[in-house]
Parts: sequence; structure tokens; C-alpha cells
Amino acid sequence: MIRRSKVSRLATSSAIIAAGVLVLAACGGETTTTAPSAAAPSAAAPAASEAPAASALPATGSGELHLYSWTDYIDPAQLDAFTAETGIQVILDTYDSNETMLAKIQAGATGYDVLVPSDYMVAQMIELGLLENIGVNTLPNAANIKPNLIDVYWDPGRSYSAPYMYGTTGIGVDTTDPAVSGIASWKDYFAAGSVAGNSLDVLKDQTELVSAALRAGGVAPADLCSTDKAQYAAAQELLSTFKPKVIDSDGGIERMVKGSSKARMAWNGSVHRMTVENPNIQFVYPSDGLNLWADNFVVPVGAPDLENAKIFINWMMGPEQAGVASNFSGYDNGIIDSDPFMNDSLKTDPGVVVPADKVALISPTPSCGQEARDLYTEVFTSWQSGQ
Amino acid sequence: MSKVRAPKSPGRPGQASSWLATPTLVFLILVILLPLLITVVYSFLSQPSLGTGVKWVFSTDAYRQIFVQEKLDGTTAFDTRYLKVLWNSFYYAGIATITTLLLGIPVAMWIATRPVRFRAMLVLAVTLPFWTSVLIRTYAVRQILDETGPIGGFLKIIGVGNSYQILYTPWATIIGLTYTFIPFMILPVYASAERFDFRYAEAGYDLGAKRWTVLRRIVIPGIRPGIIAGIALVFIPGLGSFLQPDMLGGGKTNMIANVIANNFGQARNWPFGSALSVFLLIFTVLFVLMVTTGVRSRGDQVRLI
Amino acid sequence: MTDAHLDIRQVTKTFPTPEGGVVVALDSVDLAIAEGEFFVMLGPSGCGKTSLLRCIAGLEYPDSGEILLDGSRIDDIPAYARPVNTVFQSYALFPHMSVAQNVAFGLEMERLPKNEIKSRVAAALEQVKLTGLDRRKPTQLSGGQQQRVALARALAKQPKVLLLDEPLSALDLKLRRGMQVELKRLQRETGITFVFVTHDQEEAMTMGDRIAVFNEGKIVQVGSPQEIYRRPVNGFVADFIGETNLIKVTVGSGGFIFPGGGVLARELLAEDCEVPAAGECLLAVRPEDFELVDTDAAVVGEVVDVIFTGGLIRLHVRAGDQEIVAALPSHGVVVPAVGDQTRLRPITKAARTVGS
Repeated sequence: MIRRSKVSRLATSSAIIAAGVLVLAACGGETTTTAPSAAAPSAAAPAASEAPAASALPATGSGELHLYSWTDYIDPAQLDAFTAETGIQVILDTYDSNETMLAKIQAGATGYDVLVPSDYMVAQMIELGLLENIGVNTLPNAANIKPNLIDVYWDPGRSYSAPYMYGTTGIGVDTTDPAVSGIASWKDYFAAGSVAGNSLDVLKDQTELVSAALRAGGVAPADLCSTDKAQYAAAQELLSTFKPKVIDSDGGIERMVKGSSKARMAWNGSVHRMTVENPNIQFVYPSDGLNLWADNFVVPVGAPDLENAKIFINWMMGPEQAGVASNFSGYDNGIIDSDPFMNDSLKTDPGVVVPADKVALISPTPSCGQEARDLYTEVFTSWQSGQ
Repeated sequence: MSKVRAPKSPGRPGQASSWLATPTLVFLILVILLPLLITVVYSFLSQPSLGTGVKWVFSTDAYRQIFVQEKLDGTTAFDTRYLKVLWNSFYYAGIATITTLLLGIPVAMWIATRPVRFRAMLVLAVTLPFWTSVLIRTYAVRQILDETGPIGGFLKIIGVGNSYQILYTPWATIIGLTYTFIPFMILPVYASAERFDFRYAEAGYDLGAKRWTVLRRIVIPGIRPGIIAGIALVFIPGLGSFLQPDMLGGGKTNMIANVIANNFGQARNWPFGSALSVFLLIFTVLFVLMVTTGVRSRGDQVRLI
Repeated sequence: MTDAHLDIRQVTKTFPTPEGGVVVALDSVDLAIAEGEFFVMLGPSGCGKTSLLRCIAGLEYPDSGEILLDGSRIDDIPAYARPVNTVFQSYALFPHMSVAQNVAFGLEMERLPKNEIKSRVAAALEQVKLTGLDRRKPTQLSGGQQQRVALARALAKQPKVLLLDEPLSALDLKLRRGMQVELKRLQRETGITFVFVTHDQEEAMTMGDRIAVFNEGKIVQVGSPQEIYRRPVNGFVADFIGETNLIKVTVGSGGFIFPGGGVLARELLAEDCEVPAAGECLLAVRPEDFELVDTDAAVVGEVVDVIFTGGLIRLHVRAGDQEIVAALPSHGVVVPAVGDQTRLRPITKAARTVGS
């Protein structure tokens, strides 16, 4: 999964609601009750104030900080600024998928102070005992965490992880092509991909593809990790006729902009970038629902310099730093009051702003147990071998 | 390598002690044997509940999974999917071997027949692609093959390019594999061709053979060791390629390495990924055995460089 | 010359040099070779003899001129279509084929029936006395055996002309002597025209019915071994064929004045050579053509070396500024010692003028 392109996407109050969905879905609750106004920043303020008294954290440190992050996800200039401010030298190493990072940490790689796993990966790493409980909620800037990103399913109350960027996975559609301009759901998308000559483009991503097929089959967000084989059989049946032109997580922006692909399963940020290049491309929120992912800063067990890691994570939770990070990565962030520090083009982008009536469609990317994941694999493998 | 050593003899000049090979051996064991061993061991372990990694419980499930499909309707069936993917790998690696042979032999022969002072330069030119990462080069191939790229543009200009589509078809995979592996064909064939005594070709003409007959019956057998080395150097890594089907074939010409990668990634099934690796390894070893026995029976010497 | 079997007319061949110049390998060469002849092309390396052989074989094309075989041109047809075969200096036996396969190769190219190929291969191998080795690979054979396979391979094609490019140069002296005899026998038996290239004058003398001496892209002299040995047309031939003293003499009224002051009377010169009226000229005298004399000596000088070689004794005599070698029978003469003064004279009609 490589989704960290430099893509413009924005943080708006309504996008924060999407984060709220994460919380509720994880709790097994209904998502429909969350009203947009309820998640407005002002309403979140009390939550922020609940943060425990800030622990004593020095503003500066010394020595080094070893950061292991996604490729092209953190602005080197921002790291230089951090060094200038704190005296801590940052050494950056990068990975291209959660699994790559996990495999390396599990294989016993030590020496990293800070990692940037996605939601489900945080949950798994906590369960595997790979993460240090640094008490993120006790850091001075923990008060800046958007309220709906505090009680997340992967780390309720935010002991292990601090929020970074987040985004959704929907469909980018070239509205000038009548064959795809009518796509409004995953069901439409898969149907369009079963017609020869339609130039459909899809992420090479097992979780995204199979969950989209499940949603197209009417599976509720809460059941996306169900082990009921019938729903997977239906998804398999649906996918058996889906023959996209390209199956690739990479290069989608270029293909869409050039017009060689007409509709693509894509991250909202990447669709934003397509729209900038070609205004005919729009981000479609599939009416049968879409996934949301969120990345986090965490500290692995055995990190050589816990204090520096805390200083860094706290620093990154400052509104200005969060805004700068969004400007670089192009994604929305989980920090209150970072908006003033973000570029206007990000804030006003219609491809990124989640309209109020779409909020209910969004739920977290399913983080399934091994049994369900094997079923995903089964569906994905069958589909791939039928290409 | 002979193990016979005279006890306490001072050794002949120029003959080094076999202990000097120890660092190399240790290195080889570390980088080749050990990972291989780990892969084999993993393939006989179980999946942990969280997926990633392995649980230290013996299991042959991973191997069963290659051949037996637990269908979603609850039945089991003989699984042809992975065999099909393996067949795909053999098919594309095979085609790439043939195309690199057809293109590489003439190039190698041409270089070998240039004046000596040009040869080094031309060989350097052949190795030039190695200076850049294969990933970047594959991106470049993608740009070239794209319908908006130079080929597509040219075809449009001359008015036949409207239905041009090579990128994201199996052809693109084949072109990409050919492009990636052709130096591995040219170099060993060149090494053989350079040593080839072209007086044999003259003798062939003299004895009444025409150009093609000379090529087929004298030159090709003469550079056979290089050709065999080239086939091995293209076909074997070709079996394990996954960038080209992914980036050029539009992800549709699935090869075994793509499936293995998915199992170490999203599918989080390391034992199964390992079992597939071992499965591929078995076929690769069979291929190598086939080639080497074939070579030995003809008494040829194969030089890789 | 139209009745010649192999007729070479005005053949010129040049090669570019790496420096951008041109080397003239053959310079308007004319040559006629008769059918059934054992013809030797002799010369130092780089003289053009191998270039001419390759032009006949078709492995090189002449820049200009014609090559005719039995009256029809062959210089414009490719090597594979010429009824001419070559035994290469390196033998060029195909290393991946057995002896029998090597010999059969040329016959397969003629699309002969399998049975005929088989019998002709067997006959060719028998001809060169290699029966029984047909399954061996060339690398499993000795140099002499490889040589025979190369011969058999070419002979099996029953060519009109067999070209041999220094075929014996890789063999040791003893083997070479044996093969020389063998080749002569094969040529007699088959009646095929042999064109044999060598730089070894002794070999040329032994084997050739006729010899063409090459130098610097030109044929200097063509003739039987005796002619060439006895009547070399110039100093180069005299020197290249056998051993010769080339003595610079002055033409005087009484005869030729040798270095050191001795005089050779004109009447003692070979009959058919030109003599300048005056000035200097070169005389060629073979070492064995000297005799010890008491009077009228041409060579008067001090013995600087005496070498006993069995049947002959070689005297090195310093006469004036030149050292002259004489080879005298080792019996029946009183052999001078080193430091003695001695007197020698070419025997009658043995000395020749060879230009100046």
C-alpha cells in the first residue's frame, strides 16, 4: 500500500467528522447519529481540555532522533526546522508499506525512535507488544488532538500513538467519458469495469479491492471483517467479471490526467491532484460506502532515546507544524487549529472537503483478524488469477 | 577444488592456502544459504493470529494451500490458480529468454567482430543500464510505451495510432522483461563470441556452407556455452520478476513473485509466501539441473562471464 | 595461357591499415597453374602468398583482376560455390563435431545421399590413415592427427584445387618430414592440383613441382626448384632460397674483383646471366659451390671460423669487409684452421650476377 503521494487534501471541519466515524465504527456503534455540527472544532474543545496535566517535557534536547517513515511523507525542511529549534539531529529512514515496516521491526531492527504506522497497524503492534506506552495524552500538545481522534479503536485515549495524516479511498472519475461519468457507487464501478473497452484503473490493494466489493454487495461497515463466507462468495462473483485495464497502486494520477484511464479507485488526495491537472476529473464518494485510514506517530519498544521521541511527537502536534506537514504531504491532519497554517488551495478544494451528506458513507478501513483476512486473500487471489 | 594438500608443505608459489577462501565461504553461507534455510523453515510453520510473521508450530498447511482450494461455498477443490501463475512465470520468462536470444546474439556477435579498441566501449554501453535502478528504468519504459509517449505519438502522426495500446498488455510485460534482461544475454554470449575463432566460419564457407548454415551449424554451436549461460541468466531471474508485470503489464499478467510479495505484504501469510518461494525454487533447481546435465553430456564448458 | 587450369590474371588486393593507410597485399599478380601440379607459393610472411590463396578460396575478393578455373571466372562467386577447398594453417576443425562429422560436413552441404557421405568419409579417413578415430573429437587428437583430419575433410569434397595454407607449420620437424612425404603421395594418388603456401624454402624445394617466390605483393620468380635454386633472378630469391653468399664485386677488365682483392675470371661465370660493362654488381655464390685453390683465387682471406657439420665443413672467411661462407666436403681436403690464410674460388659456372 503506497498512498503517501504528495497530494493536496484538506482539513476542514467536515473532514474531522470523518475521523469521528472511525471512533464510532470501532466501538461497533452506528455511524449515522453523528451530526456534522457535533464535531465542529468548537465542540471539541472540552475534549481537548480533558488532557491530563502536561508532563514536564524539556523544549530542547541533544543527540539524535531516528525516524522511520513512509517515503515522501515528511518535509525534510520541517525536520531541519526541528533540529534548529531543539538541537536534536533527525535521521530519516523510509518504508513503502505498513507490512514492510512491521517485518523490519519484528525482525528485531532496533535503533528507531519514531515510526508512522496506519490505524490497523498500530492496533496490531500494540497487541504484539512492539510499542512503548509513552503516554501521548500527557504531552503538552496532546490538547491539540482533534477530539474525535482521541478515542480511536486502535489506541483508545491515545497512550501509544499521536495522530498524523488521514484520508479516504473512493473513485476518481473522468466526467467527459459517458461510459464512466455515471459511476456513483462501487457497484457501478465494478459494472463499468466488466464492459470491454472501458478503461478502468484500480489500486493493487487486497484490502481496498475486496472491501469495496463487499460494500458493493451491500455488506455493512461493521461486517467488513465478518467471517461469513457467503458475503465473500458474492464479492468473488461480482469481481469475476471485473477486468480493469490497469491494476496498479502506482502511476494512477498520470494515467487519469492523460486520459488513458477513465475511472480509478483512488485516495482522495490523489484525485485532488488529478483535478488540479484536469478539472474534468472528480472524486466520487461511492454511495455504498468508503474506507478511511489514519496514520500515527508511535515509539517502538527499545527506542534508544525516549525523551527525544517525545519531544519530536509533541512538536509535530503543534498546530503550525501540523499545518506545514499537511502542506507538504497534501493530506488532512489530526490537530486542532492547524487550518491557519495550511495553504488556501488545500482548504477550499472540493475534491477533498467531505460534504455533509457524504460523511455517513465513510468508515474505517477494515482491520480484520486472520480468518477474515484469509478470505480476503482468497477473493483477491481468485480475482487476480482470473485476469 | 582439490582437497588434497601435502602436510606442512610450503606450497607451490602462487598457490594460496585454502583458508583464504574462508571469509568468502562464510559470506556465501550468510547471504545465500541462511536466507534459503529460513524460507524453508518458515514454509513449514503456522500463521500467527495476527498474520505477520510465523508461529513456531509445525504445519504443512502452506503446501496444502498451493494445491487445495478451500472454496467459499465450503467445498474444497484442486487449486489450479497457483499452478497457473507459475505457468505464467515460466511462460513470460521463456518468451523473454527467446526474445533476448534473438536480439542478443546478433548484438553480441556484432560487438565481438568489431576492432578490439571499440569492443570495450560497446560492452560498456551494454552495461550502461545497470548504472540506474531497474525501477527507474521500468518507469522510463512505461513512458516510452505509453500511448502519449514517442511510439504512440509517432503512430498518431502517421495516422495509424488511434488504437495503439501496448502498455498494460502482456506485450508490455514481454518488452519490459526483454529490455531488463538483454544485457544478461549479450554479455555471456559476447564472452563466448569473442573467444570464438571465426576461422571456423571460414572453414564452413570453404566447405560449401552458406551464411545461414554456417551460423546454425558452426557459429551457434561454437558460442553455445555463452548461449547456455545467457539462457540461465535470463530465464532464472526472469521467473522471479515482478516489477514488469506489475508496472508494465497493468498488474494483470500475474507472475509468481507478485503472489509471493502479496503474501508477505497484505495477505500476511508468511508460511504460504515461503512455501510458494520453495515451490518456485524447486522448479528453478530442476531447470538448472536440466541445463547442467545437458551441458555435461555434451562436454561443454559454461562460462558465465 | 588459356590452357592453364588455374589462371590468375592481374590480381590486386589491398587492405586498409588501422592508421588509415593502405597495404598492397597483391600487386597485379599473374600466375598460371597447371592441372595436377603440386604448386608451391613461397615467400616471407606478409609477402602476399596467403592473400592470393584466400582470393582463390573465395575468403577474400580481389580489388581487381580475374581468377579463372578451367577457363571460367571464379573470383565473383562465393567461397561455398567454388570447387576449391582449403586446409587451414590452424586446421579449423569444428570443435563440437567428431572427426567423422567434420569430414562429412562438406559432403552434407552438397546434399549427397547418406550412404555416399558415409562411404566417402570412410574413404577419406582411410586415405589419410585415420581409420578408427572417426568418433573422436578434434581436441582428443594429436597435432598430426588433426592435420590429417583437416586434409581428409578437404579431400573428401574432391575439389579441383586443394589449397594448403602453411599446413605443416605447427608440427615438429620429424612429423613435418613425414607429412611432406604423405602429402606428395596423396597428391600423386588423387591427381588433384595442390596449391601449397609456405615460408619454408626447404619445404618448398622438397615438395613443389614448381615454386612461385613472392616478395612484397609480387611474384619475383616462378620455376622448378632447380631453376629457382640454380638460377635465381635476383638477390632476394638467391638469398631466400637456400644459402647464398651475396658478394659485392667490381667489374674490371680481367673479371670480377672480389673484396680482399681476389679476381674471378668472366669465363667462370654462369652462362645465362647479364654482366654489366663496368661498375659494381652482386655475385651470388652458394657455399657448397666453393673450392679450395692454390692459384687464381677469388676469395683471399683469413679463416675466422670452422664448423664441422658432418658431411660438410663450413669455413667462414673474412675477405676485405665481407664474410664469406664456404661449405667443403669434410674428406679429401686439408681443412684450414682458424687464423689461417686461405684461398677459395667458385667452381666453374656456379657464380651468378644478381643485379647490383
